[in-house]
Amino acid sequence: MQAGSAKSSQTLSAESANIVELKNISKSFPGVIANRDISLQVARATIHAIVGENGAGKSTLMKILYGLHQPDSGTISVNGYVTQFKSPSEAIAAGVGMVHQHFMLADNLTVLENIILGSEPTKIGVLSLGDARKQVKEIATSIGVEIDLDLPISELGVGQRQRVEILKVLFRGAEILVLDEPTAVLVPQEVDELFTNLRKLVATGTTIIFISHKLDEVLAVSDEITVIRQGSTVATVLPKSVDRLKLAEMMVGSDLPSHGKRTTKVGATIQLAAHNLTVLGKDNKNPVQNVSFNVAEGEIVGIAGVDGNGQFELCEALLGLVASQGTIEISGTDVSKLSIRERLKKGLAYIPFDRQREGLMLGASLWENSLLGHEQQLSRGPMIDLAAAKNSCREIIERFGVTTPNELVPAFVLSGGNQQKLVVGRNLATAPKILIAAHPTRGIDVGAQAAVWEEIRRSRDAGMSVLLVSADLEEVLGLSDRILVMFDGEIAAELDPKSATPQILGKYMTGTR
Amino acid sequence: MITKSKNSRLLMFVVGALAVISSVRLWTGQDALTSSSTIGTALRLTVPILLAGMAGLWAERCGVLNIGIEGMMIFGTWFGAWGAWQSGPWVGLVLAILGGMLGGLIHAVATVRFNIDQVISGVVINLLAFFGVRYLSDLVYVGKPGGGISQSPPQKWALPRFNLPILSGGEVAGWKSPDVLGRLETNRWFIIGDFGGITRGLTSDLSWATVIAIAVVPLSAWLLWRTRFGLRLRSSGESPVAAESLGIKVNHLRYYGLLISGGLAGLAGGTLSIVASSYYRQGQTAGRGFIGLATMIFGNWRPSGVLTGAMLFGYAEGIKLVASDSITALFLFIAAVSVMFFVLAVLRRKRTQIFVALGVFVLSAVAYRTIDTVPESLTQSLPYVVTIVVLATANQRLRPPAMAGVPFRPGEPH
Repeated sequence: MQAGSAKSSQTLSAESANIVELKNISKSFPGVIANRDISLQVARATIHAIVGENGAGKSTLMKILYGLHQPDSGTISVNGYVTQFKSPSEAIAAGVGMVHQHFMLADNLTVLENIILGSEPTKIGVLSLGDARKQVKEIATSIGVEIDLDLPISELGVGQRQRVEILKVLFRGAEILVLDEPTAVLVPQEVDELFTNLRKLVATGTTIIFISHKLDEVLAVSDEITVIRQGSTVATVLPKSVDRLKLAEMMVGSDLPSHGKRTTKVGATIQLAAHNLTVLGKDNKNPVQNVSFNVAEGEIVGIAGVDGNGQFELCEALLGLVASQGTIEISGTDVSKLSIRERLKKGLAYIPFDRQREGLMLGASLWENSLLGHEQQLSRGPMIDLAAAKNSCREIIERFGVTTPNELVPAFVLSGGNQQKLVVGRNLATAPKILIAAHPTRGIDVGAQAAVWEEIRRSRDAGMSVLLVSADLEEVLGLSDRILVMFDGEIAAELDPKSATPQILGKYMTGTR
Repeated sequence: MITKSKNSRLLMFVVGALAVISSVRLWTGQDALTSSSTIGTALRLTVPILLAGMAGLWAERCGVLNIGIEGMMIFGTWFGAWGAWQSGPWVGLVLAILGGMLGGLIHAVATVRFNIDQVISGVVINLLAFFGVRYLSDLVYVGKPGGGISQSPPQKWALPRFNLPILSGGEVAGWKSPDVLGRLETNRWFIIGDFGGITRGLTSDLSWATVIAIAVVPLSAWLLWRTRFGLRLRSSGESPVAAESLGIKVNHLRYYGLLISGGLAGLAGGTLSIVASSYYRQGQTAGRGFIGLATMIFGNWRPSGVLTGAMLFGYAEGIKLVASDSITALFLFIAAVSVMFFVLAVLRRKRTQIFVALGVFVLSAVAYRTIDTVPESLTQSLPYVVTIVVLATANQRLRPPAMAGVPFRPGEPH
């Protein structure tokens, strides 16, 4: 006991400038090593970015700091004291707060209830809602946020939900704010707003740890950057001393393929066309209203838009998952009356929005997942040809570089990026004529992103038509031959990627132009 | 300001409904529609359904489906009757609650500790309770005077009943107070007579168990929405992952929620075997646990909604018991109400609502003109028909706890 306290006071005097110190943290889950001997120092009142590929172990590391996971070995010090957080409440008590990548909010509870949950001001167990409201209002005004505290979360947009998450953490008196990929879901204007709020916070003495793989943002906003690769720290650098490409190479550990100019030409024949496509809504509002477009052979048409402006319904209508009015043509024949399976047989393939909900059976093995949709090719009579199915899965794993021990592990074991590679591989393996790719690289790292882009380009050069739905503007601008912007169920603009910029796109996407 | 206009709207609604039912009563001459005896019976029948509904509400609010309410009620009827037979009704009620909590504990251990499917666990509890108490009856009741394998010996004492003083002629320290509402009821004037009948039904011949059951509603609302415990319990049902990330012990709260749920279900059973009758009988719960779940859905997982739903079912069952020939008058009542909805729908220009109201009006008017007597089996199925209609129509605007029924394993990567 005596030795322990002597040691921690020694630590305090030696490194008091650093508010957070992680030393030699290791953590493994069954079958996966998430962190291997990671160390990290974060200086007080700075924005410290942690960048790395998905599956590199950033999120696990932050969950360890927040007490959601316990490290197998290594030490955590906060404010100079060596600590072990057994649960989030201990981390919260020590001033560590976390805004998760997937928002941790209860949709049916109000903003106020969500903010105070877990550290409710009470008098003998009874909520002091008046006091709570006053405190939250004060914090909100101090960082320039305006929000109705009585609305249920389900009525808020993504940006507002994130603000609720931040308020939630600040309400707990957090000095250290961990943000897990905060910009993944925001449009450019919202990102700027977020960074303004964060700057105000740092000015009041709060320390921010910011996880991201959007390198431009990281370079723009952070004071220091730590790069993590395959569960270990590569280096901590200052944003001034690196550029985007160098950072990306540190993350991936090899030279990156660049956004090369396409050398092939867009073909002449139209492979996918929609005329006056409308999806009727439950209320008077139609999620998709009179949308017409066509995609030629070897062409990538990008659909940019903030989530929830009809892209999802458009994809489902093209595939036949929801009923629609208007016509859909594949290679000149009207398919709007055909079933989903018949459309797929005509050469349609779909990378769904949410790989975990629509793309994969998380509990099933990889080979079973890669079999989905190809059962007929991979069976003998009524029986599945196990050897062929596993073989085809191994081919996908190899060709698309899925990091996994083997094809027998369940899909939930893989990191997000690897799950996505499997989904993409499953759809490209059979060389479809038309690919509808919804957020093909959402939430995955640069390395995996480059691999997916490369595969899409290669198939395009071979004549595949691609409808690329994405909120990632870099992706839309880099891949597309033409860009359509969807806003409020309609196509708001058609732009040429050569002349469009993220700012112009952002304005159309938010309906401000 | 807002609450004031809300109150005045509620008042208008109540007066309007009274006017309609009063007109129907005068038109058809079916005084039983709003007589104090009908309402009193309806109230007694409301109580077990209300408690079962609240049991469902507590379970689902903390995130666990409770199909086992029926079984927990069976535990309540048996243990309640045993306690009341041995040591009087109050001990009986306490044992009924403990018996139900036993069921709740089994459900909690199965679903929270061992992650067994919540529906399967509930069904197993229903079966376990049915056969378990039969076994206990074999051990305890067989051979006792009046007892047997399927029923307990009758209880010697009943819970005291009382009338409210002045309003319904209750006695205060030996003084027989006037029965104001009773006098209003006997004059049978338009609206006034119905008001008297209904309120007298609600204030006379009351059992303390009824008072306790009704008190559960505001108490639950207060606990769930005004206390730290309640907010945390609801968060376990809405988003256990978020709750856990804020250091809330979701599984502990699910234990508490299920114990409260079981206790309420047990109390519901106890009122059946101690208040509504004076002995335990096999099959006494008669599916009320499931009707309770239906009122929970009807009530949109809110205590006041559950109360409304339970009263609706209680009234439907009460009128069937007290005056089954009044049921034809109810067709006229439904027709009249659909006319009101028709007018509202036309004003709001909601096309589907117009057609639905019109359809219901035609059906009920035809039914009233052509049906003289309703067969017993049909009247008995009335509460169930109401359940189905309500569930089918209310489906759109329901907001159940988002994660009710989804198992939660703390500390897993997600």
